[in-house]
Amino acid sequence: MNENDGLALDDITRDAIDWMVLLRSGEASGAQRDAFAAWQAADARHAAAWRRIAGALDGTFAPVQAIQSRGAERDGLARHILLYRGDRRRIIRGALALAGLGLGAGAILDRRLPLAQLTADLRTSTGERRSYALPDGSSVMLNARSAVDIDFSAGRRELRLRSGELIATVAPGQPAPFVVRTAHGTVRALGTRFLVRQQAEGFQVAVLEHAVAVETRNGVRHRVGEGESAWFDAGRVEAHPAPAESLAAWTGGMLEVHDEPLARVADGLRPYLGAYLRVSPEAARLRVLGVYSLDDPQAALASLAETLPLRVQYYGPWLIVVDLR
Amino acid sequence: MGNETHRHASLLHHLYAGHQSWLLDRLRRRLGNAADAEDLAAETFAHVVAHPDPSTIVEPKAFLTTIAKRLVFHFWRRRDLEQAYLDSIAGLPEPALPSEEERALLMEALLRIDQALAGMPPVAKQAFLYSQLDELTYREIAERLSISAMSVRRYVTQGIARCVAATL
Repeated sequence: MNENDGLALDDITRDAIDWMVLLRSGEASGAQRDAFAAWQAADARHAAAWRRIAGALDGTFAPVQAIQSRGAERDGLARHILLYRGDRRRIIRGALALAGLGLGAGAILDRRLPLAQLTADLRTSTGERRSYALPDGSSVMLNARSAVDIDFSAGRRELRLRSGELIATVAPGQPAPFVVRTAHGTVRALGTRFLVRQQAEGFQVAVLEHAVAVETRNGVRHRVGEGESAWFDAGRVEAHPAPAESLAAWTGGMLEVHDEPLARVADGLRPYLGAYLRVSPEAARLRVLGVYSLDDPQAALASLAETLPLRVQYYGPWLIVVDLR
Repeated sequence: MGNETHRHASLLHHLYAGHQSWLLDRLRRRLGNAADAEDLAAETFAHVVAHPDPSTIVEPKAFLTTIAKRLVFHFWRRRDLEQAYLDSIAGLPEPALPSEEERALLMEALLRIDQALAGMPPVAKQAFLYSQLDELTYREIAERLSISAMSVRRYVTQGIARCVAATL
């Protein structure tokens, strides 16, 4: 049965795989099971190879099985995702760009510039925080590397957070609702000062005064009260333990973290660093507590390295690698 | 240590200085987004940093291109899997939605599996996953996919072999 599949596997490993294939068929006879037991007992290397392949499969699939086992509705979730074929058009586009074929100047410009940010109404660059007055007397403050569109036409009061983080201070006494739209849902002010922040997989919202109503794209509604914070994506809203005030510390140029993974600190510092900050997965899991300066992010990294077992290496002006020491 | 470390650092510095804008430009064209391009360029150089002896890199452009191509491929595939994940959970009732932590663990595991199984025909993947995740018998799988039980057996063998090879 050993196939010429180009995989570097030795004969004993391949035999062990064949046994596993047989035992999983649902049709192994008693005699075949006995033969398997005899094979395993015949040579210590057989048993070792068996343990190795069983361990490889368990290690690979355990997280998937654990998650699927917690809810019958999740059956087939992993299978569906792994069989997803992707977007063919994009693959072709990528191939064209690679071959440098027939692209007009406009098309090239399109690819090379971050259009999402260039066409945004309000935006900030690396290390820049800025406050903007809005037509109705409200104001919005953008954290570094953020982009927001405003739509106050036809009596609307709407902001669209395209990237980064904002704090809206809403002028009271207006008939139109004040709404921040995101890719995953909307946050509606109930007479308020509140923060919305884009994260890798969703959005964080924190209420500094009064309350807001969150409605996700799939229609889940949740009210967040003063001092509270929450996380949401298209289908779900979860309460977040961080106090709202500490999430807004960036308005004063500070990053405040209360027992959170280093990954969260890195996310907070990135918009203030010209260099790309790469944190190893092991280091990213370290828990951090403290207040760090956003306006001097290199000093923040240095002080993290003093209190945690971290090594911070600078490679040229544009790459910083943080790893466990 | 001093001298050796210094030589290493200066080699790396040369590599950046000489190829950073070239690599960034190529990645921007392929990804259509400056921020993603910067991330992948940095990730590419992070691989160079991890290289045991950068002085043996004779053709830096070819070397960087090889790494960058692999990263770009993984980048798109990760996007695809994330999109597929969002599609899959869209219909789930709220209590069944994976938490943020579960999502991260699941995506990590799925990316590893996806890489291990890359290149297998879809029907072969499907047969293997029915066996591995749903614990169906080969006869049941053969029925569902309208293929022979012999084929199922061959596909499951392929799937296991690839997962084992990927963890070596």
